[in-house]
This record gives sequence, structure tokens and C-alpha cells, in this order.
Amino acid sequence: MEKLLNELKGKIIETLNLIDVTPRDFDEEGPLVGGDLGIDSIDVLEMVMMIEKDYSVVIDNKELGEKVFISLKTLANYIHQNRPEKTV
Amino acid sequence: MKVRIFITGIGIITPVGSGYKEIKNFIKNDNRGIRPLGLFRTFQHPPMPVGEINASLPNDNVPRNHILASIAANEALEGFQKSVDAVVIGTTTGGMLTTEELLKKNEKNSDAYKYHSAGSVTEYIARRIMCKGPVITVSTACSSGTSAIKIALEMLRTGTAKSVLTGGSDSLCRLTYFGFNSLQLIDPTGPHPFDQCRRGMAVAEGAAALLLEASDNVPENALAEILGAGLSCDAYHPTAPHPEGEGALKAMTEALEDAAVSKLDIDYVNLHGTGTIDNDLSEAKAINALFGDKKPFMSSVKGAIGHPLAAAGAIEAAISAICISENMVPANSGCENPDPKLNIYPVREPLTHDIQYILSNSFGFGGNNAAVVIGSCEGNGNPVSIRELIPLEIIGNECITGAGETDVTMARFSKGKSCKGLLPISTISRNLSPRIVRRLKRLPQIALSLADAVQQHSDTNGLPSSVFWSTGWGALSESYDFLEKLFESDQKFSSPTDFIGSVHNAAAGQIAIHYKADGPNITTTGGDYSFEQALLTASLLTNNTKESMFVIGADEYHKTLSRLFDGSVLKDRIASDGGGALLLRRTDNPGSLKICPLFFENSDRNPDIIPSLIHRLGNPETINKKFGSIFAGIPAAYRKSGEKQINEFISLTGFQNPVIDYRKYIGEFASASAAATVLAIQFVREGRIPEPLIGKANVTLQDKSILMLGTGPFVTAIEVFQS
Repeated sequence: MEKLLNELKGKIIETLNLIDVTPRDFDEEGPLVGGDLGIDSIDVLEMVMMIEKDYSVVIDNKELGEKVFISLKTLANYIHQNRPEKTV
Repeated sequence: MKVRIFITGIGIITPVGSGYKEIKNFIKNDNRGIRPLGLFRTFQHPPMPVGEINASLPNDNVPRNHILASIAANEALEGFQKSVDAVVIGTTTGGMLTTEELLKKNEKNSDAYKYHSAGSVTEYIARRIMCKGPVITVSTACSSGTSAIKIALEMLRTGTAKSVLTGGSDSLCRLTYFGFNSLQLIDPTGPHPFDQCRRGMAVAEGAAALLLEASDNVPENALAEILGAGLSCDAYHPTAPHPEGEGALKAMTEALEDAAVSKLDIDYVNLHGTGTIDNDLSEAKAINALFGDKKPFMSSVKGAIGHPLAAAGAIEAAISAICISENMVPANSGCENPDPKLNIYPVREPLTHDIQYILSNSFGFGGNNAAVVIGSCEGNGNPVSIRELIPLEIIGNECITGAGETDVTMARFSKGKSCKGLLPISTISRNLSPRIVRRLKRLPQIALSLADAVQQHSDTNGLPSSVFWSTGWGALSESYDFLEKLFESDQKFSSPTDFIGSVHNAAAGQIAIHYKADGPNITTTGGDYSFEQALLTASLLTNNTKESMFVIGADEYHKTLSRLFDGSVLKDRIASDGGGALLLRRTDNPGSLKICPLFFENSDRNPDIIPSLIHRLGNPETINKKFGSIFAGIPAAYRKSGEKQINEFISLTGFQNPVIDYRKYIGEFASASAAATVLAIQFVREGRIPEPLIGKANVTLQDKSILMLGTGPFVTAIEVFQS
């Protein structure tokens, strides 16, 4: 899980072009969206694409997205629980 | 003289039928045109539902969008014996469906892309119907069709034209189909506007054209009257509407005011009602705030047709005119259980009822809102006095070229040195915060930096309230990156951020958000004449405001697309881009710097275009007296015809003052005229044209103007002066 969390930090910074954010700035349990990182609803959609592409995990509606993207930890948990075995 | 603006012709093609008769039947029978996509292959089984036109279309060797627009234009002009004075059409995708196929097969021949641009749709129509006058393409996403009607209305109210063909057109393409899908805005079960189970929209295609004529009495063939229209911007979010519907309310209120119609007189509201959770919620709040408990009939036709993007407003205006003619109200297809949270109970079965006044809404990305009031011809209507276009005061002017920002560009240009090239992105955005620029690629960064510079360097009180943004080719980086990712993943993945950024008006939306500019927010596009279109539009729409406005033009160089799309870029060894920004306001201040659009005509089959220009400017004597210099815009792709036009002008007027062929210094990009206008303003301010630039002693302008002349397929003239 620790590995996945760190991997996600790097991927999120890269995908969202968070120029002024480093992996250390993430609060794994704090709010991922609308917090200090400057991540908003458009970024959520961008992360949805990245997660489907890189982990084969589909988050295809807003209601599910609201639960999954509460924090980095909830996101990592969801990916961990739902990804097909071959990508583990 | 007072005139009323009548709809005297309608052309329409939609997924539920085409032509007046079929649309009348659609309103009566409430048939639905939503089916799984069949136009191109997708990885989905079945594909998402869309509003696709299944009628067989003529094969005219032009993209589908151009064909749809042309069908609508032909029908609208049936029986019209004259030629129209102007064409104003809203479109967002241009020839994108064809371009996608060409890019996929790696087509390298630039001729194949000649119908790519959004502007090419309007130009194609103008050529076919032999319209000599101004041609404007409006690209304000999903409000384009209604915004185009507003611009056409003001053209008629200012006497710029006596007849205008207006409307909107868009065809389905991969960019919008997969783009809206990436934003999770598509309802896999089809659209259900205002239903409690609604989950999204269906992307659709179609076109509608309205022939509008100014007249002091009711023409025999008049179907309805355009009474007024209102424009606003949420200045809130790139895609989501304002949660309280503030911008939508402002547009509707202004439309009613412009139309001199009370909200109590409205019989029917044609809702934007896309079926997305946020749009319907925001529109419902605005409707409730405006009408309270006294709501007229209302419905959205997007449950039946889908959302034909830039065509939506035009199609719905045409449907509204038919409703008035036939005393009918269409049903809100797809709404079975109205969402009680919305307090909107749309008409669920088609109705027959006396209909005198209709309000029709269109909203779009960038927070753009437009509303139009259409009335029956039976009443007194809304006669308005024809007003003249007046010059606008220049309170700020800044440019970006390959040489740098305004000061550096001005210094080099004054010495007759090249300003060509590409300014590094880090220099362009050096004054913008990293949080703002992280999602913006080259074009919006140029646009925002220009807005920032012109606002910072002008001594004006208060922020600008409106934005007139123009671009010849739009956000090439975003469009290319979106399609590249889509094709690389076999159409499985795309970037929602790139899709949002790919719309022509994305930069205008960013500027509005940054400056809280909640007034009209218009994007015009038309190759080398985009900036001229924006300035004309700004002049047309400044009727009542004393607040300042941005008029900005810019283009980016893209390593693959620029040379495929823009023949002038292809002809220059050195790649260049940039643009110019003006901050303008309506004022009577004597002695101030001013700018005024004077002329805009189509050169196609218009052999007297230069004599016509001279006639508009005065006569040879007054022209020599008035203009101290000409800044000639001759795009490299049209060098031969452009030089011929300039030479004809010089020979017919005996023009003695310097003519500056500015693209030789600034470079080849569609918005070069925006940057050149900024430099011309500086010269007028300083009162001289420097020696090195003209190869002879300094020319003192002595209160003379500079004439900005655009040449090639269109001839345009703008005057920059001090008075």
C-alpha cells in the first residue's frame, strides 16, 4: 500500500502538472480535492482517465468519484481493492 | 428611422427532421432522434446515444458540418431574390470530423485541410450565396448559435447590414463525442432534461439558418420578429455553470430588457436543458429567480434532439419561430419524473396554444450565456432607431511577438528589424501564477499574458466587463494532444483537460474568470480576419456600456498543425506567433486615441471591392489628407492578390504616404493584424513613423490616422486615430 501511495503521488503530480507540489506536500488522509494542492473537479476527471489507463480501474460516475477521491488513502484503497490481478 | 428585425426565412436540419414541415411534425408528434452513434467507429458496445442525422446528405467534397450549414442556408434563402449583406454563423468544430480522419492517416498535404477551420464553414456559405459583406464566425461553444443571432441583430440595428443570414452549425466528431464522454457528461440512457434521474446529455449535430431583415413594416413573408437578446458570462468556471444560475439570469433579464418585453408576457421558454445534473440545476435556479410562481410553458427539445452544440441556439430559435407561426409548444422529451428539487415542471406532451412571445436560452463552456426573445409579428414589435457605430477609445494596447513584449517589439519594429520567431513559453507566462498556468498550453498563456499586460499598463478604474477574443486557428496544442492521446489508445483514453482547453473560447473564459468579467464574452474566428471580426463585434455590442472591454487576438504556432492548416505559415521559413490586446471603452473624451472598424467585404467575385473601399473611406483627396500611413496586412498565402489589391488602392487614390507591409517584420500568423494594430496605435500616440521602417526621413503623422488594411480573400479596414 505504501508503494501504491507513493506511486500515486508521483503520477498525480505529473498528470495534473502540479508545478509547485512535491510528494511530501500530500496529506494522505486530508482532502484530496479542494485542499491546499489546488486540485479541482477537472483534475478529478483527469485522474479518472489516468487510473483507468494505468490500473484498469474504472470510476465512471460522479457519485462513485465523490467517495473514491475523498483522500489519497481512499483512492489508493479503492484501486487496491478493484484492480484486476494482472496489474497488481 | 426606426426598424424592426424580422425572421423572413428559416432553414433547419436536425436528427428529428429537416425543413419547416418536418420540424412542425416533430413539434406536433414529439418524435425522438436519439440513437447509438453510427457515424464513426468506437470501442464501446454499443456506442453512446447521440443525435445523429440519418438523412442522406449530398457529397460536396466538403466536411459534414459545411454540408449541414449549407442545407440550412439554402432553405432559409429560398425565394429571397437579393444577396444578403452579411453572414454570422456559430460553429465550434468546423471541419474537425474530416481533419480527424486526415490526421489519423497522417495526411501531410495541407490542401486536404482547407476546410478545417471553424471560420471555413461561414466562408463556404458566404461564397455559395455570394455574400459580399462582413462574414463573422462565432465560437462561444454551446451558446454560439444564440450569440450569432445577437450579433446579427446589432448589425441590423446599426445599419451595418439590411439583411443577415445567421445561425449555427456543428457536426458530430470524435473530439466532442469522446470529449464530453471524458467529462462524464453523457447519459448512457439518452438525455432526460429536468428529470430526477437525469445523468447527462447526448452530443448531437445539426444546423439552422435564419434570414433576418430590418424593415419599418412587416414583410409579407415574415415568420416572427427578433425582439431582443442578452449576453453574459458567469466568470466562474471553465465548464460548470454558476451553481446559482446568476449568469443565466443576467442573460435572460438583459434579453427581456433589450426586447422591451415584460417577463409576464412570455408565453413559452425554450430551455437550454441539456440533461446534465449541473446545467439543469443552474438553469432551474435562474428560471425560478426570474419567474417565481408565474412560470410560462417551458420545455427543452434536447431530450429529443440531443445537444447540437453551436447549432443548438439557432435550431431552437428556428423552432421558436415555428411555434409562434403555428401556435404550438414542443414537449420536453425524456422527462418522466420532474426533479422536485428543480421546481420546474416542463411541458410533457405537445400543446396547441396561442404563442406571442418566446424566450430561448443557450449556455456554454466558458460560462457563456445567451438568451433571445422572439415574438409574433402581429403586435407593435420592438422598433428601434438605427444607431451609428462609433469609434472606441483606446485605453491600453499590448502585444507579444517573437521579439518579445510590446517595448521590445516596438523598438525592433521601429528600426525595421525582424520581430519574427517564437517567444519562449517561460517568458510569455512569467507574470502569471503557476497555479493558473499549470493547465494552460501556449495559446491561453499568450491570451492571459496579453490581458494581464494591457490591464496592468492602463490607468483605468474598474475591471473590464466584457471580452472579445479572436483566434484564427484556436487552441492547436490542446486539440492535437487530445486527438493524439485518443488515437494512441485506440480511442479508449483522452484528456478532459485538453478537451476543455480545445474549444476556441477557452481563453476568453479564462480571462473572464480572472477579471470577473460578467458581460458579453464573444470569440470570433476566421483565419487572418479573426481580429477584425472581434473588433467589429465589440463595436456592435457596446451599445449601453461605459465599462471597458478587452479586444484580443492571438494565435499559437504548433509544430505539426500550423503548417498543415495555415498556408501563410507554410510559406515562411521562420515560425512565428503571438498577438495583440486592446483595452477599449465607449466614450466621448476629446483628444483621446480611438479605433474604429470601417470596412469588411468578401473579395470573392467582388471585382469592385477596392473602389467600394475607397468610396467608404471618402475620396482620393480626403484619403490622402486623413491617413498618414497604411499598415498593410498581406498574408503570405495571398501575397499576389493582396499586393494587387494594395496597388489598386494606391493607384486609384494616388496615395503618397508610407505603406508598411507589416507581416514582413512580425511574421506569418493569423493574428498578426492584432499585434500590428498595437504597434500602429503606438505610432499614432508618438505622432510619427520612424525613418528606418520606411527607408526615408521620419514621417510626422500631424494628427493623421493610420489605416490598417487587411487584404486577400477579405478586405478589411480599421482606422486608428487621435481626436
